[in-house]
Amino acid sequence: MKNELKFALHTIKKNLASSAELRTSFLMNIFGMMINNVSFVIIWVFLIKTAGNIGGWTSADIFGLQGFVALIYGFVFSFGAGLKEMPRLVSSGIFDQFLLSPKSLLGRVATSSFSASAIGDLFFGVVCLGIYWSMIGASMEQIILTLVLCVFATLAFIGATVSIQAISFYFTDPDSVTRSLFELFFTPSLFHGGAFQGATRFVFTFLLPSLVIGTLPVEAVTNLSYQKVVLIGVLSVVWFVLSLWLFKKAVKRYESANFMTFGQ
Amino acid sequence: MKQLRLSKTIIIMMIRDRIAYPGRLIVDTFGIAARCGVLLILYWYIFNVKGGEINGVTFQITSWSMFLYFAFMTLRLRDLASSIMQDIKSGTVEILLSKPVHYLSYRVWWQFGAGLYPFFVAAILGTVALTFLVGIPATMSSSFFFLSLVGVFILSSILSLLIYAAVGLLSFWIEDIKPLYWIVDKAVMILGGSYLPVALFPPLMYKIAIWSPFGASQFITHTVYETWKQSYLEMFGIQLTWIFILGFIVTVMFSRAHKKVSVNGG
Repeated sequence: MKNELKFALHTIKKNLASSAELRTSFLMNIFGMMINNVSFVIIWVFLIKTAGNIGGWTSADIFGLQGFVALIYGFVFSFGAGLKEMPRLVSSGIFDQFLLSPKSLLGRVATSSFSASAIGDLFFGVVCLGIYWSMIGASMEQIILTLVLCVFATLAFIGATVSIQAISFYFTDPDSVTRSLFELFFTPSLFHGGAFQGATRFVFTFLLPSLVIGTLPVEAVTNLSYQKVVLIGVLSVVWFVLSLWLFKKAVKRYESANFMTFGQ
Repeated sequence: MKQLRLSKTIIIMMIRDRIAYPGRLIVDTFGIAARCGVLLILYWYIFNVKGGEINGVTFQITSWSMFLYFAFMTLRLRDLASSIMQDIKSGTVEILLSKPVHYLSYRVWWQFGAGLYPFFVAAILGTVALTFLVGIPATMSSSFFFLSLVGVFILSSILSLLIYAAVGLLSFWIEDIKPLYWIVDKAVMILGGSYLPVALFPPLMYKIAIWSPFGASQFITHTVYETWKQSYLEMFGIQLTWIFILGFIVTVMFSRAHKKVSVNGG
């Protein structure tokens, strides 16, 4: 385990150094993504201004939501951008080279690529959470709870992402399928959390963990609801373990590429 | 005449290409339907909570306005910027520039042709679904609506193509246009009335949406509102003005970029 972590950190360091070599492009990606992310804050804050509070949500909660989601997305996809590349790696047969590596297969795939723009998401998430804390006048308990929930939500995000990407092994042209499913999971996590009630809340909590990575953590921190913290913790662990099992099962379906470069 | 033949050939070729992969079309349509569907369910709840009307607009009008945005998005005209960037980065632009076909015309028709079939499928399926679910508002049942919709669709398509062509052509000078593309794309998304319908915009934001090229490229979302009959001439005028301005900018950019490239050179 220690060796695996050491190797992953080494790969991340190399990826980061190689990405930062093109400095202007690297910085533009980071700042461009930060500006890009402001869009959802603008949309939902303006909706609250026009329609008033919905489901008890205020502008502060919108900042909290965007903070959680951007931070988690940025963290996972900056250092583990290889997860997004899985459909391409599988369909092109490049996945072979990962199978030959003596390191953890999933860890090796995840750290094989780096995304500079996701660093912008990460910074944006930190800034939004800072604004959220100051807007709600967060206590030390709420700050610690936010950090704990970031860990749980990251596990849920990795779980859902790996489960979706594992589908790549079942299709000859997996790009569209995985992209659509990822959007179905991720896009609702950016929507106004207060508007998810009844059936939609059930579907996007238990069938797809879209609300587990943003909406539920914000509600847990704002209302200091430990019941929700337990629910998020349980769902995160379940999704994470399930994804590892699904990935292991899916890899068995992989048919190695040969000298003629035929994948699948 | 030559231009018309070229556009017809490219569009037919691209439609045949899209028909050949029905699986991809089904998955893409499902993706857009799911995203738009979730959003409509959320707005349905919001309108119910707020007594059925916000800013004098009903859920029925709002849902059609948002649907028009998502249907227009299936044309994927925004992909023009990344196609141009890809050509420049890979060097393919050198080969394409040496052909007896205008590079930008080729790319524009290619993009338009690629999105036409998915657009018709999504538009027809979505229209049928929405008609059954929320019904057709009175503003959409006149011949004026259909005629103005066709007009605004053509102008919106031209304006969108010009915006994304300008962004794509910047690849001749900037190494990575992705950050700029994200910003422009999000400006179009916000001001076009995607996740927040234009009727719910605060006054200042509404003015920016009307007068900026980003909002003007999505005037198709305004056609379902009651104010459309009074404002359509002004909106057509704004779109035409931006088409002329951006058309000029794109022409200048392309001629400068053309000089920058040494075809088949080192």
